[in-house]
Amino acid sequence: MTGDGHNARGVSPIPAAAGIGLRFPHHEQVLQQQPAVAWFEVHAENYFGGGSPRQVLERVRCDYPLSLHGVGLSLGSAEGLDRTHLQRVAELVRSTEPGLVSEHLSWSIVGGQYLADLLPLPMTEEALEVVCRHVEQTQTTLQRRILIENPSTYLQFQHSTIPEWEFMAAVAQRSGCGILCDVNNIYVSASNHGWDPQAYLAALPAAAVGELHLAGHAVRTLDDGSVLRIDDHGARVAAEVWALYRQALRCFGATPTLIEWDTDIPAFDVLLDEAAQASALMRGLAPGQHACAA
Amino acid sequence: MPALLELQQALRAQLLGEALPADEASALRVAIYRNTCLSTLVNALRLSFPAVQRLVGAEFFDGCARQFIRRHPPTSAWLNDYGAGFAGFLSAFAAAATLPYLADVARLEWSVNRALHADDAPGLDLARLAALDESARSRVSFTAHPGLSLLRLEFPADAIWRAVLDQDGAAMAAIDLASGPVHLLIERDAGGLAVRRLNAARWQFAVRLCAGEPLYSALDDGPDADIGAWLAEHLSSGRFIDFQLNAPPAGATRQ
Repeated sequence: MTGDGHNARGVSPIPAAAGIGLRFPHHEQVLQQQPAVAWFEVHAENYFGGGSPRQVLERVRCDYPLSLHGVGLSLGSAEGLDRTHLQRVAELVRSTEPGLVSEHLSWSIVGGQYLADLLPLPMTEEALEVVCRHVEQTQTTLQRRILIENPSTYLQFQHSTIPEWEFMAAVAQRSGCGILCDVNNIYVSASNHGWDPQAYLAALPAAAVGELHLAGHAVRTLDDGSVLRIDDHGARVAAEVWALYRQALRCFGATPTLIEWDTDIPAFDVLLDEAAQASALMRGLAPGQHACAA
Repeated sequence: MPALLELQQALRAQLLGEALPADEASALRVAIYRNTCLSTLVNALRLSFPAVQRLVGAEFFDGCARQFIRRHPPTSAWLNDYGAGFAGFLSAFAAAATLPYLADVARLEWSVNRALHADDAPGLDLARLAALDESARSRVSFTAHPGLSLLRLEFPADAIWRAVLDQDGAAMAAIDLASGPVHLLIERDAGGLAVRRLNAARWQFAVRLCAGEPLYSALDDGPDADIGAWLAEHLSSGRFIDFQLNAPPAGATRQ
């Protein structure tokens, strides 16, 4: 039991420990058994509206620090943010008082149509301006700082002019937002595009990194023979990603780290086990050790 | 170099349409995004229309959901709010014509989805209503709870829906498809979800109140004694979240 009980409210900060992404199949178990988890993160959109999902979230929030992770704000949309969507996020933030709020460096909406995936942006000055404007609009509406997560991508655009790690750093620097560094996404994208994942980590401004993500991915061979890594959140964290996570801890120090699993969701114990591995690596970090050598 | 908006419009056309980029490497990669986009949306519809899926089978559902998605993609990222037009789409879907009740089951499931996911809203404060003087009460009109639906369906979709989700073949076999229309009230209640059959008069009264007709007008039809009880039940069940006071009816005599 890690929570402070039902009288705990007000913003509970997310501790520098391993948390778990809470999904519907585990709601009952978490409410009944109150497992020892340092914090939970949920997808904001799953708790829009009212009824029983919202009641579950309120109860979870009473027992654990909570992080809200948006998947639908579409910060990279050229045409602007969906204000109704942003207001729903704001309402959820007001009512749940999460320790962290995050979104993605991606887009999903064009012409008022939602394309239900985190789609890649061209890494251009125009896209950078659009994203920074929307991050600022979001932070103003929510009256708080948010974190932006680096994407996993399968496509690059020929007219991109800014390396993704520089783009992430520039968004943080210009808008004042923090960075959610998804270690698996760095590994997946680096592998797909031939980048150096360690150099990516080293290029991120350490002071801006407020959270890390870990998840499993799939390896697929395409019809043209090329091998692509797909960020499906459907397996244990890969050994290479654990290795990269160790470097991330050396770069950023002990940082709230989330275990995510969205496809073929396993028994909750499997997630606890992954979280324990992340915790063990964080504990093994020498005090004050912050050196990011790429 | 395409502007960001042009690039996004082009990718949308590739995700929702048939064409892919000309070069194979790009086409294979865009296809990954297309697959995620469509399968996420099919899954959202599957979660909102589980009985429809059982009735037509997973493969047929996947096919018709994809056609619906391409013609009517969601207009927001709140996927629990996606699918309002699916029942209407199914009613015009020729391949489903052998199941004439399919669209009615979809209409019911959309109302169930609304009951489960609508915003929370407390029932109106009955003390405020009680404080009105007698003459004002008949001029009251109500705002219905956002999770409340009233459906008149040609087929006994409520019985079909229950039998399908319970996988109760005996109950399914006992349903008389020609038993005439059903009048349903669907709402979120203390137990989570309620789907009730009403008689036609009671349903009509509820429809008029939910449409915002003042009481004096909605009271027109039906025996007074029953209507008082019906109104009391609506109020105590929290089906109305607010009320407004309307002008007296034209030509009404001062009381």
